[in-house]
Amino acid sequence: MTTTHEPTHETVVAVWQLESPRIVAGLVRMTRDLELAEDLAQDALVSALETWPRDGIPANPGAWLMTVAKRRAIDTFRRADRHRAEVARLGHELTEEDMAELVDQVDYVEDDVLRLMFLTCHPALTPESRTVLTLRLVGGLSVEEIARGFMVKETAIGQRISRAKRTLAEAGATLEMPSGAERVERLDDVMAVVYLVFNEGYAATSGSSWMRTDLCLEALRLSRMLAALAPAEPDVHGLQALLELQASRLHARISPSGEPVLLEDQDRARWDHLLIRRGLAALSRAESADGPVGVYTVQAAIAACHARARRAADTDWVRIAALYDVLSRAGDNPAVEVNRAVAHGRAFGPAAGLAVLDAVAPLDQTAHQWHAVRADLLSRAGRLPEAAAEFRTAASLTHNDAERRLLLRRAESR
Amino acid sequence: MRYMVMLSMRSDVGPPPPGLVSAMGTAMSEAFGSGLMIDAGGLMDDQQTTFTLRSGALSRTDGPYAEAKEVVGGYAVLDVRSHEEAVEAARRMMQVHLEHWPGWEGAADVRRIAGPEEGPPPT
Repeated sequence: MTTTHEPTHETVVAVWQLESPRIVAGLVRMTRDLELAEDLAQDALVSALETWPRDGIPANPGAWLMTVAKRRAIDTFRRADRHRAEVARLGHELTEEDMAELVDQVDYVEDDVLRLMFLTCHPALTPESRTVLTLRLVGGLSVEEIARGFMVKETAIGQRISRAKRTLAEAGATLEMPSGAERVERLDDVMAVVYLVFNEGYAATSGSSWMRTDLCLEALRLSRMLAALAPAEPDVHGLQALLELQASRLHARISPSGEPVLLEDQDRARWDHLLIRRGLAALSRAESADGPVGVYTVQAAIAACHARARRAADTDWVRIAALYDVLSRAGDNPAVEVNRAVAHGRAFGPAAGLAVLDAVAPLDQTAHQWHAVRADLLSRAGRLPEAAAEFRTAASLTHNDAERRLLLRRAESR
Repeated sequence: MRYMVMLSMRSDVGPPPPGLVSAMGTAMSEAFGSGLMIDAGGLMDDQQTTFTLRSGALSRTDGPYAEAKEVVGGYAVLDVRSHEEAVEAARRMMQVHLEHWPGWEGAADVRRIAGPEEGPPPT
């Protein structure tokens, strides 16, 4: 038993991570320099690591970190002041008087966090850079944690972050709150990044899938943040609903031996019913709003059909097929067509599913799914030799070991 | 990782001052808004029943109970990245009580909720 309360290194880092998006956002607003803001936020972490283990965690750690970062910023600007060119570049000079103002900002910077999300998901960046920069600056994850999530080398992530910050600086991008049509577009970009992070973890396209769930949970948290920061936009609730519902099945979709378990075979008692409840609540927030229904809301509505079915046999496939028809009309996405084929197959029979599927060509990135679904529909239609051949084709195209074993097993069992 | 924080206090603690209610409201909406907190609730003691199983006998008592005792008065469920994050969330709740409810005494228990990784007990 211990009665001491000196925070450990891990505790200090955890507290810093919780405060990090607001601190970074406040510092970007103040310095108009993302690179500098991140350095200053890191400096504040170093100070906390030196001080807190001795003095304990301050009552208001966010304000403490912000004060330290702000002091460092002023020092930096003072040094820069000796170089007029630098000052000219920064465009403004900070004084001690700004200090109180900035500390106060900790209390009302929620909008700044949304601005920061717009910045890290800026159109000047590639989708890959957006995900990494968002995880780093909004999620507060370390380069090591991000590298582990994406299963690439730390140096590669570090370089991608540096490159992204350089790109933003060159594009003259800074904290801004877009309005009107641009706001809608930019929110779409932010949602796409959150969705991409989730799928990176959910799909586990290569290698072992275990550690990838961290990415799913990180995306889930980002989606909750976004829904709290931009609650007037219906589809942010749709995105949150979708991720809560998908995440509710995370543990049921992998068997104890690491094999993927198909939705219909999952033990529904192992679904996370707290997440389902939260997902359905977020979906009803999305659906109660006026205006056109967004794509994430439609996908969430599909996920909700599965979540509401107590047994696989109770699934409302007719409604799911209709929802996939809506998604299909919303855009040209081969993955949607493959899922639409599954839904039509279940709702109206394998021939209906095959009709949907055969209308689209298998594309490279979704080819194994196309063949796997075709195999499943063929076997349901009783065309067993063709089904076995399709299962083998699908197995040869997937990069996921566990999925390949599952497909080959199905090829043999028919 | 999922955690539960249980806030316990004396059953005769009385209604919280408005300042505490408002400060907890702010702290909770921040915790929900950051995606950290996923469920929370206060537990009332006006309708309370306790079943006890002792020496093979099941008994039932209905509250409210006359004697004051330490009871769980509220809980929060957290989705956290680490144990430390859960501990910090609990510290914040207690800090709010320290600042906004003079004289209040109680405890916050931080417990990890068993996840699927625990698996069923060996048979």
